[in-house]
Amino acid sequence: MSATLSMPPVRQRPPRRHAVLLAIGRHAVLIGLAAMFALPLLFMLLQSVMPITQAKTSALWPETFEWGNYREVFDRVPLAQYFVNTLQVCLLATIGTVVSCVPVAYAFSWMRWRGRTTVFVIVLATMMLPYQVLFPTQFQIFTSLGWLNSVLPLTVPAFFGDAFSIFMLRQFFMTLPGDVIDAARIDGAGEGWILTRVVVPMAKPGIMAVALFQFLFSWSDFFGPNIYLENENSLTLAVGLARLNTALAKTGESNLTMAASVVFVLPLIVMFFFAQKVFIEGVNLTGTKG
Amino acid sequence: MLALLSPWIIGVCTFVLYPIINSLYWSFTTKRYGKPARWVGTANYETLASNPDLGQALRNTAYLAVIGLPVRLLIALLAAALLATPRRGNGAYRLLFYVPAVVPAVASGALFFFLLKRGGPVSSLFELFGLEAPLWFRDPEWAKPALIMVGVWALGDTMLVFLAGLVDVPRSLYQAVELDGAGRWGKFRHVTLPMVSPVIFFTLLTGLIGVLQSFDQAFVISQGVRKGRLTGEPDGSLLTYAMLQLRYFQDGRIGMAAAMAWLMFLMTLAITIVLMLSRRKWVHTAAEEPR
Repeated sequence: MSATLSMPPVRQRPPRRHAVLLAIGRHAVLIGLAAMFALPLLFMLLQSVMPITQAKTSALWPETFEWGNYREVFDRVPLAQYFVNTLQVCLLATIGTVVSCVPVAYAFSWMRWRGRTTVFVIVLATMMLPYQVLFPTQFQIFTSLGWLNSVLPLTVPAFFGDAFSIFMLRQFFMTLPGDVIDAARIDGAGEGWILTRVVVPMAKPGIMAVALFQFLFSWSDFFGPNIYLENENSLTLAVGLARLNTALAKTGESNLTMAASVVFVLPLIVMFFFAQKVFIEGVNLTGTKG
Repeated sequence: MLALLSPWIIGVCTFVLYPIINSLYWSFTTKRYGKPARWVGTANYETLASNPDLGQALRNTAYLAVIGLPVRLLIALLAAALLATPRRGNGAYRLLFYVPAVVPAVASGALFFFLLKRGGPVSSLFELFGLEAPLWFRDPEWAKPALIMVGVWALGDTMLVFLAGLVDVPRSLYQAVELDGAGRWGKFRHVTLPMVSPVIFFTLLTGLIGVLQSFDQAFVISQGVRKGRLTGEPDGSLLTYAMLQLRYFQDGRIGMAAAMAWLMFLMTLAITIVLMLSRRKWVHTAAEEPR
């Protein structure tokens, strides 16, 4: 105590009131941000149950909760069919991505071979490529195969590896304990055995994150489905919602658009709440860590 | 090794390398699907250069990159900084801030189209404070700021990446500059900023490339606006590069779409190279810090 007193303070600590003000300011900003993020979703929910007479006015709160809007939007457009189509695309693309990318990521992380770094740079480069660069030719390929209006253009490429997923998986594989893998190798295990029996069991969180992100991407994807799907019954939810939004902008039935939006968005939000850890793991893998 | 890589090698050759090279070839032709391509030299590029829509699309993109992206990154950094030191309630805030990021772009486009329409919730809120709301998407002046708002709303993933970077900053560094007499700003300027500069680099790179291909929200919103026969469209204030390319594609002018694809490839390459070269100047490379 006396030692600190005898030394001149380098810098005066802020007075207590200052700290209180800072805490209040911090909370004010946080609450403001929370409102900014939450209110749009709240308005979406409220509008989705607003009676049509009210939906066309500037009312914010529904007089009565018109849950029939949901039945109506399922009647107007084949929303259930869109849902099934979307689910089909998501599941196939997710399986394809995991099956094809895990071995590639393994080769880029725990196998030594000449030119590995160079080839990995190619992976990184293709990761940056916008789909707009690729689709004119891909469209021709898929058309000549007769794949339009099917899930094939949206799922088959996933079985041939996806740069983003390979990158994420490699990031995760690099964090695995190398001595376990080395020990297996010294014991004479083959690469296939090491991959399936050692790496995959240890890398489950990373694989889950990649699967989740692919699912999320396929669910949300609009550009591809918008090009390849034309028939009303082949659409995914994303394309169906976009068309519905365009059609109902004319009639002002924003309550139905918002009901369809809730059907589209709610599964993802529910997934997020149940799998938060996996999401955060995934976001960290996309970052600069590892 | 080759066995493990072969699906990916086939995939890259078929779905990436071949399309890039092929679109270069098509971009010099009058390609239409189902018809043989006829060589026309640089005619497509000349048509493109004289199309005022291209200038408009590029200006819109530049606006989103120069104004929208920094706003998005700054708010994401602010949110992350507020949540970086462990405090009670942070988990709930983090959860809430991230939720909009899982909302697909088509849905957030439709949502903001509704929120910002005349007589919509946002104009009601403006009225509550006695203000007159802008026309947003129907006003060429306000359409792009409104579009930026949609992007800012979904900044959760950027925030999480920043948060991960901030949590990694060793406390000892803060203590060190505190001894040197640094205040809040000094700590931010001399510790936080250099330590998260790799994260800023990463978000800037992916963000710029993302802006270049921005499509979903602008497309959904402009379709709604146009079909609703409202004012402000189609003067192109929401037109993006990818939307213009899709227009050529849907008109069957594949040679033009291919030319735009190839130009986009070059722009992506240029952005990546310029940022990579600038990296040494401002991105802090992690010296070995004790953990």
